[in-house]
Amino acid sequence: MAEGKLIKPDLEFVRKVIDSGGESLKKCYQCATCSVVCNVTPDDRPFPRKEMIHAQWGLKDKLFSNPDIWLCHQCSDCTAYCPRGAKPGEVLNAIRKLSIEHYAFPKFLGRAVGDSKYLLFLFAVPIVIFVVALAIQGHLRIPEEMPIVYAERFMKVPYIDTIFIAAALFAVMGFIVGISRYWKDLSSDGRAEAKMTVGSALFATVKEFLAHKKFQKCEVTVDRSKSHLFVFYAFVGLAITTTWAIIYLYGYELLGIQSTSLLHFGESPYPLYDPMKILGNLSAFTLLLGITLVISNRLKNEKKAGGGSYYDWLFISVVLGIVATGILSELLRLAGIAVLAYPIYFIHLVIVFFLFAYAPYSKMAHMVYRTTALVYAKSSGRDREDA
Amino acid sequence: MDKKYGVYICGGCSIKEALDLEKLSQVAIKEYKVPICKTHPALCGEEGVALITNDMQAEGVNSVIIAACSGRVKYDVFDFPQPSIVERVNIREQVVWTHDWTKEVQTKTKDAEGKEEVKTEQKPNEDTQMLAEDYLRMGIIKTQKTALPEPHIPEAVERNILVIGGGITGLTAAIEAANTGYDVTIVERSPELGGYAAKQRKQLPTSAPWTDLEPTSVQAKIQEAANNPKITVKTGQEIARISGAPGLFDISFKPTGEKSKWDIPPKKKDADKDKPAEAKPAEGEAKPEGEEGEVAADQIKCEDILTSDPDAERFGAIIVAAGWSPADPSEFEHLGYGKYANVITNVTMEELATKGKIVRPSDGKPAKNVAFIQSPGVDGDDSDFPYCSSVTSMVSLKQARYVREDYADAKAFVVYKHMRTPGHYENFYKSAQNEEGVFLTRGEVKGITEDAQKNLVIEVDDTILGEKIALNVDMVVLAAGMVPATKTQSVINLAYRQGPDFKDLELFDGYADSNYICFPYETRRTGIYAAGCVRQTMTIGESMEDATGAALKAIQCLESTSRGMAVHPRSGDMSFPEFFFQRCTQCKRCTEECPFGALDDDEKGTPKPNPTRCRRCGTCMGACPERIISFKNYHIDMIGSMVKAIDVPDEDEEKYRVVAFVCENDAYPALDMAGLHGLKYSADIRFISVRCLGSVNTIWIADAMSKGIDGVLLIGCKYGDDYQCHFVKGSELANRRMDNVAETLGKLRLEPVRVQQVQFAIDEYEKVPELINKFMETIEGVGFNPMKGF
Repeated sequence: MAEGKLIKPDLEFVRKVIDSGGESLKKCYQCATCSVVCNVTPDDRPFPRKEMIHAQWGLKDKLFSNPDIWLCHQCSDCTAYCPRGAKPGEVLNAIRKLSIEHYAFPKFLGRAVGDSKYLLFLFAVPIVIFVVALAIQGHLRIPEEMPIVYAERFMKVPYIDTIFIAAALFAVMGFIVGISRYWKDLSSDGRAEAKMTVGSALFATVKEFLAHKKFQKCEVTVDRSKSHLFVFYAFVGLAITTTWAIIYLYGYELLGIQSTSLLHFGESPYPLYDPMKILGNLSAFTLLLGITLVISNRLKNEKKAGGGSYYDWLFISVVLGIVATGILSELLRLAGIAVLAYPIYFIHLVIVFFLFAYAPYSKMAHMVYRTTALVYAKSSGRDREDA
Repeated sequence: MDKKYGVYICGGCSIKEALDLEKLSQVAIKEYKVPICKTHPALCGEEGVALITNDMQAEGVNSVIIAACSGRVKYDVFDFPQPSIVERVNIREQVVWTHDWTKEVQTKTKDAEGKEEVKTEQKPNEDTQMLAEDYLRMGIIKTQKTALPEPHIPEAVERNILVIGGGITGLTAAIEAANTGYDVTIVERSPELGGYAAKQRKQLPTSAPWTDLEPTSVQAKIQEAANNPKITVKTGQEIARISGAPGLFDISFKPTGEKSKWDIPPKKKDADKDKPAEAKPAEGEAKPEGEEGEVAADQIKCEDILTSDPDAERFGAIIVAAGWSPADPSEFEHLGYGKYANVITNVTMEELATKGKIVRPSDGKPAKNVAFIQSPGVDGDDSDFPYCSSVTSMVSLKQARYVREDYADAKAFVVYKHMRTPGHYENFYKSAQNEEGVFLTRGEVKGITEDAQKNLVIEVDDTILGEKIALNVDMVVLAAGMVPATKTQSVINLAYRQGPDFKDLELFDGYADSNYICFPYETRRTGIYAAGCVRQTMTIGESMEDATGAALKAIQCLESTSRGMAVHPRSGDMSFPEFFFQRCTQCKRCTEECPFGALDDDEKGTPKPNPTRCRRCGTCMGACPERIISFKNYHIDMIGSMVKAIDVPDEDEEKYRVVAFVCENDAYPALDMAGLHGLKYSADIRFISVRCLGSVNTIWIADAMSKGIDGVLLIGCKYGDDYQCHFVKGSELANRRMDNVAETLGKLRLEPVRVQQVQFAIDEYEKVPELINKFMETIEGVGFNPMKGF
């Protein structure tokens, strides 16, 4: 008797998928309509049919070590056409969440971000940090002096930088550990026969991201190709703005570069006509537009594509929170309403911290895991050529 | 009854446009001297019906011949007070709707200059007219030869029901029949009522939303039966023999498993059967040893089937709800059943589950990982276990849920080639599938191995996981099939000459044969109705529904029998076969050919009719070489005279004549449907409706041939495994007789192709023209009957 592969279904994992937004998982009866309607799956060993049975049987190793769960962009065409209401799109989303959790370091945070029980704790961390920082500066009350200068009269630059650099480093460390574990698993089955170098695969992946090509193949949720694109470019814009602000600050402080009439080296706030400020504000409004579209698309497609999980909505809320408090902070500062401006700014800082520090564990991590999976898939020839 | 005839010809529905009704009337008036012959533009209207009724009242007409539409329609309109005979002559569907009214006739004339001119004219079609005239002739003759049937109402008819089997089906049938007002007796072999329905933890859903298991309902039924004064229960007993007939069944009971002198004696040896009747020992003479079934020392000498048991109890109708027994899966060696203690059947699993939490047979350890195997999976053969069905599929899902109920961390694997959950049970499948610890996959089980701790590893190939897999399990449950009791036991023990069991069980894998679409509860034995798992495997819910249907059939049997009427399929027919015994040669053909075993011949071979077993198909009449069997309104002379009434044109008229004997059940309605669709075919054929092709006596073919008719066509139902014959064997028997017919034709120097039988289904009406025209071509190919004019 030729030995079959010993299969040990993990009931715990099945329950986790169900609890993470894949509650329709067991409804799948393997008709493969999903794989037929999917526009992004490769023709060979297509997803998400096989992912559905692997998940039903609790075979998590098969799911995590396979880049396919990330090739899926959750168009939800499969969910819309599923004759059993098994919502493969939602199930794969839950599996991706569990994959992020699986590779998370430290493990505890991986679990905590996906579980609403820990939400208060997760917010308590930055609140405590910022309250302590304000207490040290003696700024625990709302400053009455005008004009409003957050970096001068509230949270001074060294505090901001120390806290956020630490948070960013923590996140980067989390990503490095997670991604290296993930890459190891991806390459473990030795299936990968290099079709292109990792460098050129990365280049191809980034090129694809910039154009949002995969999203355009979606049918039911094709609108997402716009909303996600706005959010994506808004984040790119905000990243550039942040870097630019750092150059202004440290260019002046460390290198002594003086302001010109156009470029205002030195401490914030910067005048509204400064190109960095223009880019920042533009990005903020793009993000607001993008995230609003994301929410409205999700509500519009809820029947066909599924309502999304706690994990999705937490991330959406964080992004919405950041952009809303960010814009409000600026407007209230310009309007000189200190009593509202400072508390809002405080909230803004807390949410930004949330986004930064927990990036490897929240849905934000999809940015890194999807990139890794696509690079692996492209280099091993798994991704569709036409994608 | 002194007959006074009245012929009424309808002109409606295009009949008067197509035919010369005056000329048609002359057939009745001139040829048959019918005293009253009237035409009316629409006989089925109030005025038309009044015309007939008035004649019946004023003129004393009591034999009404209506030449109009098919007798299959408007029978309620032409329903006249009894006693009267009504004969319908079908000149609508089978004459004017299927044949051209006019014909192109070319006439050559010479004009003044001597030039030939060809003129084409439309003239009334004489062929269509001749067809209508022949049908009227046959209708009048048929009426002349018809006598009013007098019902056979036996004395001492019982109106109670015996239910064999006290499981869910038997109990339900008994309760339903008792609640309708009939006395019922349940006989159950085992000491307790309930059957397998009582030996389960829970039952499959029987009502909406069809998702969850239900507590077993059979206990309530047992209680209900016990409390019902109309129900008698006999447990620990079985049937020694059933003798008699519907209304008059005499049942000899005996304690289960014991021998009784009222058991059915073993069948006579085949050698004995082949001996001519004369060689048999005369009555009263000692029978040679070993001839009448060997009697071993420990056996009781059984009484002859015609001897009656004075202690027998009489019943009117019988419901067989004997249920099933589990199949033995040990033939599939690679599954290790019988070898490994923890490989069990679904029935054993149900016993374990009923006792308490499910534990392994080997060591009593909790069985938390259980594999359910639906198909043996041998070398790509995708068959399930023998006698598997949707029921065993669903039982596996049910038991998978037991495992999940018992242990929170339990895993139940269901490996199948087919997962059948028909109808509403799809909801049950969905809910079982939704259990997180239920794992379903298609697959072929390659083998099972056991380790020192009696844990099992099952190897499964061709799974929907896309690879060959192995599973570690505590226990394996095989979906053993449900074998009908009719296959494994002698359930009914009939004291019938044709044998103690239902006929042809082997053709249907041991299931009591019945047509599952058209007449589901009927068996090959009149008055004995099959219900539940002896018919096909069923769930509890399906069994209860089936039992209700069978109870209604049994009641119909009681009510019809006590009125002297046939039950099925000629429901309400009061005719029955009569035997002119003085001319019987004891050839036993009638006894042997009756599809329902209605006749029990005595030692000499003289048939003993049991009129209430009869379904009135006339197969005996068709079989009898001496032609001594007849019905009051259907007999050899009647059909023979109808054939002879056909006006056969002389050879120089260049017109062929063909007669077709047509089964009234499917083929005749198909002909009417062809008419309804206006399909056209040759006007040289005459149809004669017969009760069944089995009733066609070869003498009619001889009559036709000697009359100068050019061909005979027999149109009847499909036969074989998927037969459509309403009398099961009629068309098959007719076909067997055709061999002799061909031989006889050969002797007469007639081409055998002149007589043919075709199998025709009711839905094939569009093929009617093709069928008839093809036969006409064949006949034209062999030419006119040389016996014409003799």
